[in-house]
Amino acid sequence: MATADITAGVSGKLGSVPEPWIDPPWVEGDNDYKSVTEKVCRISENPRPPLAWFVSFVIAASVAGMFGAMIGYLIITGVGVWGNQNAVAWGFPIVNFVFWVGIGHAGTLISAILFLFRQHWRTSINRFAEAMTIFAVVCAGTFPGIHVGRVWFAYWLFPYPDTRLNMWSQFRSPLLWDVFAVSTYATVSVLFWYMGMIPDLATLRDRAVHPIRRFAYGLLSLGWTGSSSQWLIYEKAYTLLAALATPLVLSVHTIVSFDFAVSQLPGWHTTIFPPYFVAGAIFSGFGMVLTLMVPARQWFGLKDIVTTRHIELMCKVITATGTMVGFAYLTEFFIAWYGGNPYEQFAFMNRAFGPQAWAYWTMISCNVISPQLFWFGAIRRNMLLVFIISIFVNIGMWFERFVIILSLERAFLPGSWQSFVPTWIDLGMLVGSFGLFFTLFLLFCRFLPIVAMSEVKHVMAYVDGKAKKAH
Amino acid sequence: MSKTHPSHDAPQGKRLGLLAQFAGPEELVAAAEKATDAGYQRVEAFSPFPVLGIDEALKNPRTILPYVVLMLGLSGMCIALLMQCYMNGMEFPGAPWGLSGYDFLISGKPSFSIPAFIPVTFEVIILLSAFGAFFGMILLNGLPKLSNPLFRSERFAAATDDGFFLFVEASDPKFAEAETEAFLSSLGGSGIEGIDEPVTGHAVPGFLYLVGAAVATLALLPPMYLWATSGTTSTVPRISFFKDMENQPKVKPQTTFALFKDGRGMRVAVPGTVARGGLKDDAKLYFGYEPEDGFVGGPRRIEAMLASYSVQPVADGPDADGADSATPPAADQPKEENWVTEFPVKVTKELMERGQQRFNIHCAVCHGLDGGGMGLVTKRALELEQGTWTQPTSVHAESVVEQPVGKLFNTISNGVRKMPGYKEHIAVEDRWAIVLYLRAIQRSQLATADDLPKDKLIELSNLN
Ligand code: HEC
Repeated sequence: MATADITAGVSGKLGSVPEPWIDPPWVEGDNDYKSVTEKVCRISENPRPPLAWFVSFVIAASVAGMFGAMIGYLIITGVGVWGNQNAVAWGFPIVNFVFWVGIGHAGTLISAILFLFRQHWRTSINRFAEAMTIFAVVCAGTFPGIHVGRVWFAYWLFPYPDTRLNMWSQFRSPLLWDVFAVSTYATVSVLFWYMGMIPDLATLRDRAVHPIRRFAYGLLSLGWTGSSSQWLIYEKAYTLLAALATPLVLSVHTIVSFDFAVSQLPGWHTTIFPPYFVAGAIFSGFGMVLTLMVPARQWFGLKDIVTTRHIELMCKVITATGTMVGFAYLTEFFIAWYGGNPYEQFAFMNRAFGPQAWAYWTMISCNVISPQLFWFGAIRRNMLLVFIISIFVNIGMWFERFVIILSLERAFLPGSWQSFVPTWIDLGMLVGSFGLFFTLFLLFCRFLPIVAMSEVKHVMAYVDGKAKKAH
Repeated sequence: MSKTHPSHDAPQGKRLGLLAQFAGPEELVAAAEKATDAGYQRVEAFSPFPVLGIDEALKNPRTILPYVVLMLGLSGMCIALLMQCYMNGMEFPGAPWGLSGYDFLISGKPSFSIPAFIPVTFEVIILLSAFGAFFGMILLNGLPKLSNPLFRSERFAAATDDGFFLFVEASDPKFAEAETEAFLSSLGGSGIEGIDEPVTGHAVPGFLYLVGAAVATLALLPPMYLWATSGTTSTVPRISFFKDMENQPKVKPQTTFALFKDGRGMRVAVPGTVARGGLKDDAKLYFGYEPEDGFVGGPRRIEAMLASYSVQPVADGPDADGADSATPPAADQPKEENWVTEFPVKVTKELMERGQQRFNIHCAVCHGLDGGGMGLVTKRALELEQGTWTQPTSVHAESVVEQPVGKLFNTISNGVRKMPGYKEHIAVEDRWAIVLYLRAIQRSQLATADDLPKDKLIELSNLN
């Protein structure tokens, strides 16, 4: 019966406590089901969250407010407030869009792909990563929305019957595929995240004392009881959603890369883009998960649940995907040379040694060199270094997209070359999107279960072998 | 039995079943197995996480969810493909509500570009399947169900924390309060508790649903109104939230503009400007006369044109299209013998018919259909005894019949005495067509017997 459920691969181990030195438990310390509930729920039940939370929230919310004000300014004035120009018609907005969508990939990857591969370590971090996905997609969606210029017509992106124009969307364009891919991804991520949260929301409901909390969590948990028949259908649905989200997550960044690859521009028109973009997305997503997770487990006292081992595993994923991305960079150069197209060759020489070479080398050092440090166990276990390197990864991946966009500066006709200079609005909006992201994230940490308790308990029972000694 | 009753004194409803707690997942599975072995059929287990083996122990049926997802995925595929083929590959002009479809060629791809339709199809398949999985889970589980008698048990709150429960329903054929309670405690269940149907509580009054539905419908009206007005024509200005480009800060025709010395918004052409098609270098065709120096059109006229520009003050300069309005200066008025006598266009039956049609449109109101001078406007003017009205000259008058075609052409173009010119209204070719038709109606009134063919003559003499 339970063929598709999470523990199919380990049911043989049921009841046998694994040797701790061969296979250390995923939940450390002297924890039982109750203490896990306690540790996780305490975060959102605590009437006084840590001071660090308040400070971060005030900063993030004001930056997000600035973002909102800038969007208002943009709408009133027009897209001329950006540095976009004739040559580089896609400036920061598209860079930020691809950057955030990329970050959004780790969440679903951790939740879905690692779930299908029965990687039990995902349970402690998946909720966190899924929330990160959703907030990153919110940030990502903002940019194309405001990039259309007349924001109030953003609905033109979707096919709808227009009685005035009698026209329909252009389904042969990758930009339209993008609309479908990103909105499907956002919807499915929200469903996946919310569905995973229902049992934990029920836990919060049952612990709630204040009637408003009880009502709110009661509404959100939809009356979940945890009966075996509910769990049966729930697990089936979760597996199916994971199986659907897996190809989806791969398709989204593939389609985002089509925005570039389907055009005829040297440096963009390559078949390597889809896999290279997907690897980069996972890379940047894991970078962001680490950036968030390292301080959060510290502040919220989750070190037993998100263990050093979890962090180490994520570092390894970063090294693997960072190396793939580095390989893709090399391949691009090889193909430019091997393909014999002078425009393509120029585009790449220009990237590495042209006027904007600094951006290229920032990208290389952050994306290719810095993750190699994770080969050393001591660095993987040093939380401060992990945090710093994860920030480098974020910077590097932003620059990767920036470097790609800079190809527009020097396309075929030297007569139409133009250097890109961002305006302060460009920079402000990049910073502002981080403000939006962190605001949403801090709110999530405050009010929702940030660790998938039911899944952690399941792993405790059947993987760490606590089922027997439960009290 | 008293210990299974909740402590408070509220009236109790029907007994729904018995709830027992177990120590852990293993114990729960073991107890569930024994309960079903003992013949209980309506037993349910509750746990904070999915417990392995519980479905076999309780003999839970399989779920149809995967088939729901499959069906939705397949319909997603059909919907997406049909949608794209319809929207980008077909066109039904004039279909209502903007549903005309839009078949257009782009990047050399065919109307039905299946490969280009794959990404969107893929996304829609995933989207609908995910809806199937999520909403299927919700519906098959009977959620949302915010009120549940079990939630009234304080102990049951642990079911989402660290408690493992078994619940035997009272509707089970084997259920008997005392025996079942004993049986559950023999399985190792603790804190056995009876769950009763709640009798207190509030329900939402039915009329509120009606009110809600009415408010929701009314709230839809304003957006529907906006949507409807945006797509239809109307005599009043459209309501639009975003003014878009409806008001543009630009100078419109016939308005003033302080920046220029003459205060006019519209600018005159730079001297010497010749509008496209405005060169008019064939004087015979455009003006109906042959210039004296023998050149056809040409230098003289252009010189005259330039001269006219240079002498006119800017404030009331020539019209924007300059060349068209430039009449040969009075001194240049052609001599009688210079009027063109031959048609400068090819005379055909089509031209004649065109001329008839144009004459009936432009000239007959004054001159009458036969050119005799009694058009509708003339008749009316005479009826009203308008003193200022000049009766149009009959085109059959000798003075007109004798005129060369070039002069008639000039009359139409520039008018004569009280008659206004029509060159702004009637194209050059059409003016010549009218001249041709004038010749025809003149002939019709002044015909002699010689003009008739032989057989018609015989016919006529027979009539006499
Ligand atoms: C508004 C009424 C009106 C219309 C329309 C009109 N005419 Fe006339 N037309 C007159 C009047 C009035 C005269 C006589 C002017 C006078 O003697 O002062 C006249 C005179 C003429 C003459 C005689 C000119 C001469 O040398 O004595 C001709 C030929 C003529 N019209 C042709 C036309 C043709 C061809 C059209 C159609 C393109 C036309 N008219 C349209 C009112 C009109």
